[in-house]
Amino acid sequence: MSDKSNKSVQDKLTDLSELVGWFQGSSFKLETALDKFKDAEALAEEIEKDLTKLKNDIKIVKKRFDTEE
Amino acid sequence: MENALLSVSEFVAITNQTLEYAYPTVQVEGEVAEFRIAQGKWVSFKLKDDGAIVNCFTALAQMRVPLEDGMRVVVIAAPRLNVKGYFNLNIRAVKPVGEGSIKKGFELLKAKLEKEGLFAEERKRALPRVPQRIAVITSTESAAYADFVKIINERWGGLNVEVAHTQVQGVPAPDQIIRAIRYFNSLEVLPEVLVIIRGGGSAEDLSTFNDEPLVRAIAESRIPTLVGVGHEVDHTLADMISDVRAATPTNAAQILVPDRQEIIRSARAQASSVGYLLTQAIDSYSRQTKENLNAAFSRIQEKLDATFEQLGVLRVAVAQLNPENVLRRGYALLRGEQTVGSKLEIETVKHIITAEVQDVRQK
Repeated sequence: MSDKSNKSVQDKLTDLSELVGWFQGSSFKLETALDKFKDAEALAEEIEKDLTKLKNDIKIVKKRFDTEE
Repeated sequence: MENALLSVSEFVAITNQTLEYAYPTVQVEGEVAEFRIAQGKWVSFKLKDDGAIVNCFTALAQMRVPLEDGMRVVVIAAPRLNVKGYFNLNIRAVKPVGEGSIKKGFELLKAKLEKEGLFAEERKRALPRVPQRIAVITSTESAAYADFVKIINERWGGLNVEVAHTQVQGVPAPDQIIRAIRYFNSLEVLPEVLVIIRGGGSAEDLSTFNDEPLVRAIAESRIPTLVGVGHEVDHTLADMISDVRAATPTNAAQILVPDRQEIIRSARAQASSVGYLLTQAIDSYSRQTKENLNAAFSRIQEKLDATFEQLGVLRVAVAQLNPENVLRRGYALLRGEQTVGSKLEIETVKHIITAEVQDVRQK
């Protein structure tokens, strides 16, 4: 379930919500619930790590706007 | 030149050259009177004070804010003598001054744009929950920009933010901001949100954001807009026409991206809720299994009880049929042929007696 390679934080948040939904929905099976629970815990941990380390890339546009081109 | 004989045209041309040399542009403050729009293209009015009056002229397209008689304005203009002998101020820019006139200009433009439906709720577009590519238009030298950057860095990461530096007050500001809006809207890959911010200032400073072409450029932006200008109490047409209005630049940053601490807390809470759901499910399954076992035991017990009861009845019945019990009640068991002279064996509860048959009669 948890895929550390490419998924964005947003994707991981969606995955986590889906997992919660699975636990609350009719597809719930006790046999697979423990694995899903482990996935949810791992996702929450990854989200925290991702959010803590991510930095913003802020660039000033070189183009000048004080005159018409 | 003093004694030179000039034609009228030459005189007008020389006068204009002199005016252009001496006063390339002038800024004049006064009250608007006799405001007129001719042929839907040309604007003329008189600018007056207690002692004098001067004609003003411009193209309608040059007008950034609607005017009305009685409004106090500053015109930036070139003084000219026209070929019909009228002295005019050819207006390059005009802006209302003083609280009353600024408010009047604001109300006139607001009513005009409202009539066109530009403030309608159904025009408002939602911003993405977590945009990745963000365009910002502001003065990068302002405290508002510094606050905005500080807040988005605190709240979220992984954003690509492109910032267009423009003036955010003064006559050139609206056009600079419009150019920046057009620049971002012309990019091959559009940013997901266009943010326009400016910190607090006087009503005159903020009047940049009540400029008609600027307000229209915001309304026409293909990129959803988030505008935060001034303080909470300040309202400009730019923020009213935007897709999302922020009360301040700081508030714009808060609206733009979620707080990572909140998201972390929420992710942890979700994972915990999954654990709780799992425990609940296990409890529920255990309870159900226990209930099923109890039900099974009860059924077995019921069956056993019924069987034992039946057995008891049978035992009583069997006991009643036991010959020993009959003998105990005083009866005897007779064995042998019932003919005269035959020997009979008589069994009582205590003895076995042998007797001889002496007589046999019919009952």
